[in-house]
Amino acid sequence: MRLRRIRPGGAPGGSGGALPRASAAAVLTAALSLALFGCASGRSSSAPGDGAAPAATSAGFGWFRPGPAPGAWQHASLSGQSATLSYPGSLRSEHSDPGTVTVGSTARSGEVLVYLNVTPKQGDETLRNWPDFRMEHLREDGQSAVRLDGVSGPLNFRGGHGRCVIDNYTTDIHHNHYNEIACIVRGAHATSVLVAATSTSAWRASRALLEKVVSSYQAS
Amino acid sequence: MITKRLLFVLGAGVLALVTACGGGSKAAQPPASHSPAATHSSPAKHKSSGIPQDNGGDHDGDNSGGPSDGDGNI
Repeated sequence: MRLRRIRPGGAPGGSGGALPRASAAAVLTAALSLALFGCASGRSSSAPGDGAAPAATSAGFGWFRPGPAPGAWQHASLSGQSATLSYPGSLRSEHSDPGTVTVGSTARSGEVLVYLNVTPKQGDETLRNWPDFRMEHLREDGQSAVRLDGVSGPLNFRGGHGRCVIDNYTTDIHHNHYNEIACIVRGAHATSVLVAATSTSAWRASRALLEKVVSSYQAS
Repeated sequence: MITKRLLFVLGAGVLALVTACGGGSKAAQPPASHSPAATHSSPAKHKSSGIPQDNGGDHDGDNSGGPSDGDGNI
């Protein structure tokens, strides 16, 4: 029996150059496809990175959605300003510095459940330096173990623009441990500072309320 | 002969495409020089004569173990 010799890449009885050309084209087509796929996937994988930078600056502030407070909430304004703090009716006005607004709730044990304070801008705090300013202020105020948990980018408050930090610290007196959302908000006519805080032990339970208070704050 | 030339031309095309693709991906990366910390200059605080503090006049909670309020003074 006589075996027909088949050339590699060839077909029995083929014309010699036809199949090598076809297979070369197939290989190159595959290579081109791979190159194009790699190119496309490379670009798509870099796209989230481009968008991630702004999101990273506001990490931890996805909850911020400016809007009116629930209808049953109370309202308080700084004297001479129309900046308005909205808060649940269960909170009570507390003694604070003249010209400021403070409402809150304290457990029988003395644990601070909710503490809300609005103060007109007093020092050199700005939207730009706010994270550094607040951390430095807490330390100068005698607080220890001051830890920054989150820094927002620019936030669009109702009636103005602001910036917030989330942090926690321990007081020098009585060594109480608090968590807070502290914001500076610049309105058309005035700049104010909003602090929404709670004892660390109540942070998990009170945080959603504090976030709602911050989201509903109205600048003037 | 024709096959070799075809291979050479297409190979060069693939090489050029891959090179261009790699360059494009690099250009799409965000600049590495963005450092939020670098944009914050440490503020030199100037105390204003605003609300009285330190229990000298206000006796509010932040001077007795309560949460810190929003004033920019001590």
